[in-house]
Amino acid sequence: MNPALLLFIARRHLSSNFLRTCISVGGVAIGVCFMIMMSSLMTGFEGKFVKETIESSPHVTVFDDFRAGEDDFDHWADRAAGGPVEVEGGKPRSRIFRIKKPLEILDSVRRLEGIEAAAPNVVGSSILSFGAKETGSTMYGIDPEAQEAVVATDQYVQGGRMTDLYSSGGAVIVGSGVAERLGVKKGDTIGVSLRSGGTRSLKVVAILHTGVTTIDFSRSYVLVSLAQQVLGMGRDVNRIVMRLRDHTQAPEIAVRVEKLVGYRTESWQEANQNFLSIFVLQQAITYIVTSGIMIVAGFGILNILIMLVLEKYPEIAMMKSMGFTARDIALAFFIEGVAIGILGVLVGSSLGYYLTEFVGTLPIPQKGLVESEHLIMNNMPRNYYIAAAAAMLVTMVASVLPALRAGRMDPVETLRGHA
Amino acid sequence: MIAASPRPVLETRGLVRVLGEGDARNEILHGVDLAIPQGEFCAIMGPSGSGKSTLMYLLGALDRPSGGSVLIDGADTAKLDDDALAAVRNRKIGFIFQFHYLMPEFTALENVMMPLLKGGASSRQARARASALLGDLGLGDKLGRIPGRLSGGEQQRVAIARSLANEPLVILGDEPTGNLDTKNADRVFAVFEQLAREKRQTIVVVTHDPDMAARTDRILRIVDGRIVDDGPTKEVLERMG
Ligand SMILES: Nc1ncnc2c1ncn2[C@@H]1O[C@H](COP(=O)(O)OP(=O)(O)O)[C@@H](O)[C@H]1O
Ligand SMILES: [Mg+2]
Repeated sequence: MNPALLLFIARRHLSSNFLRTCISVGGVAIGVCFMIMMSSLMTGFEGKFVKETIESSPHVTVFDDFRAGEDDFDHWADRAAGGPVEVEGGKPRSRIFRIKKPLEILDSVRRLEGIEAAAPNVVGSSILSFGAKETGSTMYGIDPEAQEAVVATDQYVQGGRMTDLYSSGGAVIVGSGVAERLGVKKGDTIGVSLRSGGTRSLKVVAILHTGVTTIDFSRSYVLVSLAQQVLGMGRDVNRIVMRLRDHTQAPEIAVRVEKLVGYRTESWQEANQNFLSIFVLQQAITYIVTSGIMIVAGFGILNILIMLVLEKYPEIAMMKSMGFTARDIALAFFIEGVAIGILGVLVGSSLGYYLTEFVGTLPIPQKGLVESEHLIMNNMPRNYYIAAAAAMLVTMVASVLPALRAGRMDPVETLRGHA
Repeated sequence: MIAASPRPVLETRGLVRVLGEGDARNEILHGVDLAIPQGEFCAIMGPSGSGKSTLMYLLGALDRPSGGSVLIDGADTAKLDDDALAAVRNRKIGFIFQFHYLMPEFTALENVMMPLLKGGASSRQARARASALLGDLGLGDKLGRIPGRLSGGEQQRVAIARSLANEPLVILGDEPTGNLDTKNADRVFAVFEQLAREKRQTIVVVTHDPDMAARTDRILRIVDGRIVDDGPTKEVLERMG
């Protein structure tokens, strides 16, 4: 074997058949370019969603509920085992709509490792009215200072701060969508229906605009005590929200908290499971589609290399008569394929970078899950590594067959055919 | 004439080559025995389809016998693996075919450098040796040309330079002048004569041309896969009439 010589031969073959080389490099480059762009788009959207979610919602939440456990009669009525009893007309156990002794729970979770902050919440549906207009809203009773340590909401508040809720009796901050529906602006006074009957007036001290439509169109914030009054909750709360030092640890910590406090405890991943699983599916689809492009490029290389090998049969026969081994010749053609792959990755990566940047500047406004003026592109190195790995895998697989064929060709058969 | 060395450079014993299988089975060579000493310039003659090329591939370790044996410089090719055979071809054999099979993307110089580089020569050594060879063959001013820009005769001379690159013990030419005009064929044979006389290289050439064959030391005649005549050139040519 003689690597320098084989490289020399491969390089000359590629540079002398310039057009053919360009076409196969182009095929790989297009695959790489689109794979980078598509995964930037997909991970960009997902990344923004996750970022906004972990900023704007608690990492771990304790609910006024128990996880559906095994029923006491379940083992009696085990259907699979053909149990002796069948339970009919069973009703779910009555839900508990309160978290008792919230202050003690707050105290103990705050002492847990990995928990940065915790705050009590009173959450319930309420009906807000402004003149003749009415709209439903999910009312959050919060302690603004403790809450801000858990979810950074202040940055989304327009015309005020969360702490403005402390101001003289009956302040509310409504989501921009809610404000829109009611037609209110900062300074207006709106009404809220009390569970116990009657209404109470609230002064809009600020508007909340997060860009997440589901939040903006539903939420209103008041102090804990006010929400307790509106929802008729006495001195109890129904949620405890937490912020973690590391949001990726949420599932494990949620399990620990649940064991500690006994109430159902949910991580942000569990709360957003449906979205996160859509992202997984979306990524899978992206990779399947772009792999398709890559495989087409692979067939292009396969085709071009097979043609090259067949065309060069007489020369390969001569090379064998000069003492080149099957391995030498296979390797020379394999190097050609790999070189096409490497060039394709280099060209495709730079094209992919600019395409991604360009697509990111297109004015395509988005509303819904996430609000943005443009497509959100995550032009990150990982996309390039994955595209490069896929391209190299495909080119190597596509090169093996022609290379082996070149190596195994029988020189005598070819020479007979020509002589 | 130069005295034959005790051990022949090329030798076959009961050499049989069968091509095809089953109904297509075709015995091409039916037990060929020959021995060619070092420095001999030898012609192989015979009608088309008689097995001359088949014999050449076997003598050059490009092909393996179906029966009997081929000894190249005393080594039985049947006992060597593919890599060892490739090494034998690189060091001991120089092939020239009717068609030159030059590598079209490489210059004349680079084509001649190939077997040298394959044999492990440094780029500098290979370049020096290849340009000297091409100079000897009158191509000193065309080193940098690719084959497509050389005439047929020039291309065949590049192929000859390439076959000589590693100073092989044996040069095998399968109708090397079959594609050339008389003037160019003449030149090629002059080179062969010189190599045999001055460098004691063994040369075996298949030719149909009695005028060319007349310039060799010995003629082997093959008909239907058997050697039917073998002797000094003059005698064989006389017997052929
Ligand atoms: N693949 C093959 N299978 C069977 N017979 C073959 C095959 N290839 C060539 N032959 C036969 O081998 C014989 C010898 O061929 P060759 O050595 O090329 O003869 P020459 O070089 O003397 O013209 C021919 O008769 C040809 O028909
Ligand atoms: Mg022939």
